[in-house]
Amino acid sequence: MSEIKKGGSTKPVLSKGEGLITGGIKRRDFLKILGVVGGTAAITGGCSPEPVEKIIPYVIPPDTIIPGIPKWYASTCMECPAGCGILVKNREGRAIKIEGNPLSPINSGGTCARGQAALQGLYNPDRIGGPHTRNSSGRLEPTAWDEAESILVEKIKEIRSKGNGNKIVFLTNNISGSLNRLIDDWVNALGGRHIVYETFSHEPLKEANRISFGINKIPTYHIEETKYLLSFGADMLETWLSPVQYARKFSEMHGYKNKSMGKFVQVEPRLSLTGVSADEWIAIRPGTEAFLALGIANAILSEGAASVTSGEADKLNRLVKDYKPDVVSLITEVPTETITRIAKEFVESRPSLALGGGAANTSSKSTETLVAINILNYIAGNVGDTVNFGDTLTLSNANSFREIASLVDSMSKGEVELLLIYNVNPSFTLPKTLRFDEALKKVPFVVSFSSFMDETTEQANLVLPDHTTLEKWGDYTPQDSVYGVIQPIMDPVFNTKSIGDVILSISKKIEGLESQFSSNTFYDYLRDSWRGIQTRLAPDKDFEAFWTDKVERGGIYREIAPIQVRLSQEVSTVSFSEPKFEGEGAIYFMAYPSYRYYDGRGANKPWLQELPDAITTAVWDTWVEINPETARKIGVKEGDFLSIESPYGNITTQAYIYKGIRPDTIAVPIGLGHKSYGRYAQNRGVNPIEILPVLTDEASGGFAWLSTKVNVSKTGKREQLVKTQDSTSQEGRGIAQAITLKELESGVHEQHELGEKFDMYPPQKYIKHRWGMSIDLSKCIGCGACVTACYAENNIPVVGKGQVAKRREMSWIRIERFYHEDNGFDIRFIPMLCQHCGNAPCEPVCPVYATYHNHEGLNAMIYNRCVGTRYCSNNCTYKVRRFNWFTYNWPEPLNWQLNPDVSVRTKGVMEKCTFCVQRIRFGEDRARDEERNVRDGEIIPACAQACPTKVIVFGDLKDGESTVSHLAKDERGYRVLQEVNTQPAITYLKKVTWDKA
Amino acid sequence: MNQESALTYSKVNHDIIRMLDKPTVKWWSLFIFDLAVLAFGLFCFLYQVYTGLGVAGYRHPVFWAVYITNFVFWVGIAHSGTLISAILYLFRARFRMSIYRISEAMTVFAVLTAGLFPIIHLGRPWSFYWLLPYPNQRELWVNFRSPLLWDVFAVGTYLTVSSIFFFVGMIPDIAAIRDRVKEIPRKIIYTILSLGWKGSTWEWGHYTRAYFYFAAFATPLVISVHSVVSWDFAMSNVPGWHSTIFPPYFVAGAIFSGLAMVITLVVPIRKIFHLEEFITIANFEGMAKMIILTSLIVTYAYVVEFFMAWYSGNPYEWGQFMYRAKGDYALFYWIMIFCNSVVPLLLWFKKVRTNIKALFIISLFINIGMWFERFNIIVISLSHDFEPGGWGLYRVSWVELGVTAGSFAWFFMFFLLFIKILPALSISEIKEILPAPTREAKAR
Repeated sequence: MSEIKKGGSTKPVLSKGEGLITGGIKRRDFLKILGVVGGTAAITGGCSPEPVEKIIPYVIPPDTIIPGIPKWYASTCMECPAGCGILVKNREGRAIKIEGNPLSPINSGGTCARGQAALQGLYNPDRIGGPHTRNSSGRLEPTAWDEAESILVEKIKEIRSKGNGNKIVFLTNNISGSLNRLIDDWVNALGGRHIVYETFSHEPLKEANRISFGINKIPTYHIEETKYLLSFGADMLETWLSPVQYARKFSEMHGYKNKSMGKFVQVEPRLSLTGVSADEWIAIRPGTEAFLALGIANAILSEGAASVTSGEADKLNRLVKDYKPDVVSLITEVPTETITRIAKEFVESRPSLALGGGAANTSSKSTETLVAINILNYIAGNVGDTVNFGDTLTLSNANSFREIASLVDSMSKGEVELLLIYNVNPSFTLPKTLRFDEALKKVPFVVSFSSFMDETTEQANLVLPDHTTLEKWGDYTPQDSVYGVIQPIMDPVFNTKSIGDVILSISKKIEGLESQFSSNTFYDYLRDSWRGIQTRLAPDKDFEAFWTDKVERGGIYREIAPIQVRLSQEVSTVSFSEPKFEGEGAIYFMAYPSYRYYDGRGANKPWLQELPDAITTAVWDTWVEINPETARKIGVKEGDFLSIESPYGNITTQAYIYKGIRPDTIAVPIGLGHKSYGRYAQNRGVNPIEILPVLTDEASGGFAWLSTKVNVSKTGKREQLVKTQDSTSQEGRGIAQAITLKELESGVHEQHELGEKFDMYPPQKYIKHRWGMSIDLSKCIGCGACVTACYAENNIPVVGKGQVAKRREMSWIRIERFYHEDNGFDIRFIPMLCQHCGNAPCEPVCPVYATYHNHEGLNAMIYNRCVGTRYCSNNCTYKVRRFNWFTYNWPEPLNWQLNPDVSVRTKGVMEKCTFCVQRIRFGEDRARDEERNVRDGEIIPACAQACPTKVIVFGDLKDGESTVSHLAKDERGYRVLQEVNTQPAITYLKKVTWDKA
Repeated sequence: MNQESALTYSKVNHDIIRMLDKPTVKWWSLFIFDLAVLAFGLFCFLYQVYTGLGVAGYRHPVFWAVYITNFVFWVGIAHSGTLISAILYLFRARFRMSIYRISEAMTVFAVLTAGLFPIIHLGRPWSFYWLLPYPNQRELWVNFRSPLLWDVFAVGTYLTVSSIFFFVGMIPDIAAIRDRVKEIPRKIIYTILSLGWKGSTWEWGHYTRAYFYFAAFATPLVISVHSVVSWDFAMSNVPGWHSTIFPPYFVAGAIFSGLAMVITLVVPIRKIFHLEEFITIANFEGMAKMIILTSLIVTYAYVVEFFMAWYSGNPYEWGQFMYRAKGDYALFYWIMIFCNSVVPLLLWFKKVRTNIKALFIISLFINIGMWFERFNIIVISLSHDFEPGGWGLYRVSWVELGVTAGSFAWFFMFFLLFIKILPALSISEIKEILPAPTREAKAR
């Protein structure tokens, strides 16, 4: 039993091993409200206002909780604006694992690494433990919620009494849904403004669509239906718009099936993680994508291959007539033949799709570029087919960078008296030259609702920490077709309060607002708001039934068909020119959003820090990618610290020599370089945004990320660049194999099947199952979701930069990447994990039987028996075993996330992938309880579950009908290093490549 | 033996037992320094146990490194003792007489040192006894398929046999000391250790027969122990380890390094205790010739490894051996070749192999070279095996160096005690090759 601590304690309010209780709801009511997936819990009661102070142990367990049996709750991920549906596993009152909600049309069960790591936001040891206020000496000190709220109430009253209500600004990220409406209404009622700031808000997409089609929105794209995908720097598999959704759709389009696959061409100066999955990389001169698009359009139109009306064709012809492929070739440095070839392929392989607008490639002429891409889509007949303007993104509602800049301007002019900040960190994400910090100092009162002490919150006068997404009620509408419900998975870990509740509660104390905001809690407000949705969408249904159903399913998912749009007149007014670059330097500077940290918000999560970047395999730090040619010129080797100088500042970081970048360009990932934001983020790496100018895309007012030319020089300092894979070549050993489409068609590819071999030992006996896996390399995009999911599921410790430098990371599954330079530059990924060999080299060498072969084909590992000779790892052909060099700790409360079904290992023992044996046992037990056999696909390991592109298939090899058995015999199937006769249980399916033209 | 004529039975007794006189200041300072190094090594080990094996320099995928190198190195050192005392005894090689006691002592102490490393290198050294097949309530048994378990038996057997052999050979000498010492505690100890040896013909008859059988029993162990140690590697599938030439290669290497170590130890002892009359140039020359032989075998093995890697067409083997010669650790590889294959060639010259200083320096080179041979086999192979994605480099840590230094201190601690407590040269066997005193007068 322990008291819930009041005030701003930074200690979690629940201590380890104790059960669940709420800050405002009785446990039983709480659990009933949650609505168990597949359960029949009725919705009763609301939120009783009286605080419950005691933790009740499970002397009499609640009816709905069976210790050892997890509960799954549907919710919505808020780690980026994509709004994927998630299912969160709750064990004895704690959220321990996030999985994608298979019902959600956005992610269909997959997640990304950031989504997996949301748990480390929930349990982050550096979360703000309670409300804080700035004391007389200027330091933030803990206070009580009542006091904190009354401070805000007084402040608002004071401002209103002066008639300065219009000087109140509420700055949030895109939170489309009930909370957005509440904040809108509330701040309007006070006379102020609500500004939505997203670091990557893709304004040029909206503006280009307005110009081209008269629709000021960001559409959705049906990548899955295309046969030919041409992307002009859109990093759709990383951060662009809805990465998990597009990764899934991409794998449907590009995965090999029925003897065919789509083709994907990526046009960008730096080969991004998305570009790695492309069949062809066109290293265009930075900022000249518009011309390439026009050149392609020109080629299509001149061939008469465009599917447009003759009037439109004339209009378009006039627009593109100057951009003949040979002219374009000079501007873009793309060969003429390539341009005409792509033009031909683009119209011939319909439906096709051209994408653009990745943040890293956003120049000052981005809108024009996207107009050119729109034209391309239009003439190929893709708009209204693979471009869906019926289902648009709510990201379209974000304010433009220009509006943010003008807010900063008015702040510095003293035109803002009260700034409320929620879920954004402009001190970090805005370029230094905008002088946000100075402007913030001019604002007399700043309130932050952040859960973390980030750079912006640090400067606030009042901190009212919100619950994280996993602790509160809410909803989110990422795109028109999806209304996602957010429900609390567990009790708040800290003494935090939902922002909605804070707004409602202070409204009661502000004259004139009480009547408009009469809901007692945000939960009530939310339900009222969903009543509105219900009347609109299902007027004949009972609300309670509707609500329960939606909470269980995770929201409302609809299908919205594309609408037909015509090219607008305005297109002809667009003129194309090269973008502006600031700085006198010789080298283009590219700051690209990181798929691990997004805009920097992921930097405080150790899982993401330790997830190796797919291309460099670097962890825990920033680097600069530089072409080998350029590196040779300035005498730089990997690990050298380079000074990058723009007119606006200077950053110094380590070099990574990368053939996938043009010699005239360097690139630095965004996300690190935090001055605060907790122990994991602080003082680590550099922030490239700091040296960017305040330059916008001229037409849309969006921030121009690609706008600087820099000088690069050696500092003379050098350190080991900490990464997890040193070798870039697979030395012809056939680790990650590929096969061309033509070879598959003609069936000439070799099959390396080893015949029956004489063996001294009797063959392994598998009594009921032989678990196996197949991994389709034609679908793997290297995103690392599987790696992070494995960390979450299997209690894998994070070891930190110093230990990774010694290659002591503990990941059970790693994504290996190999460079291929024989035929252009190409990167292959292969997820490498324990192969659960039928003839495992690790087993006979263990002197104490700590590792052995079990009757289900698992290469089992008994931690308790292990004495740590490490012979098994030496003898492992795949080097997938990990050793506990130390006893690793999880700082409280990160340890709350630990999976109770998996042992936490201590120093001196070996560990490795178990094929998620706890899940296998759970599935087998359930099948036995239900007196049936385990169904194919019923047991899914964490890696396979998380994979957004469904690369990994798990199942029983003994069951001849299972998917995995069929895949094991697939024509593309091979086993890594099978000549060693390890007889792996994992079949890799070769990556399929297009024959090089 | 040229100087035999100058030696008499009494001079042998006197000169050898003189070594057991009260330790000098020099001995004490050496001993205390040795204990200090040992204490540091112990500290490093305890620090490692407390903190975790991570304080050693291991990096994925190099999970064995300096500790196992030391293990193989010390087991190798242990070899020449039995070789010199047992095999050469059976072959009646006379040059062994003066040095076999020292080399037997070296064997026992080297095995005692080697035996520490498999425990030191464990992730959980407190559970080391799980490697022993002892009956227990949990009904857990050991895996007899694991070469590590064979190691336990091989090294255990070798320690037992070499200790017994060492002790039995000393009984007549201990009796001789017993007869000479006067101080009560020492007298009692030597009395007990001499097992009532009187030197009667009956006793000598039994003694020589027993010694012969022990020699015959110990001889196969010379082959077996290092063969088993080599199976730790050869039975695995790691390129660079998985090779059928390992057992003879390791045995030759062990004898090679053991002989070098004997020279390293004997040269200073000979000088300090003025044993030039006992340990003659001829003794050294005999060892030098064996060094040439074993060096050639080892060099042959180096060449054959490369040949087989190339001839087999196995890309992993070939990749491994090219990496040894040209990769990140190439320096260590070439140090090994220089020390083990090039330097011993000097011994073809009679002038060199009869020059004590030159021999001593060459023996040091061989010690270094053989240490690196084991290091190269273990570390380079592990760094660069099948899967390029898993490759990684090893870098030694101060803890490992501390423990290694401690292991040398541990070995020399025994050795320093040995030369002050037990007869470092065999009194009785040296007498065997001297003219008997009674016959001596007649001869003149």
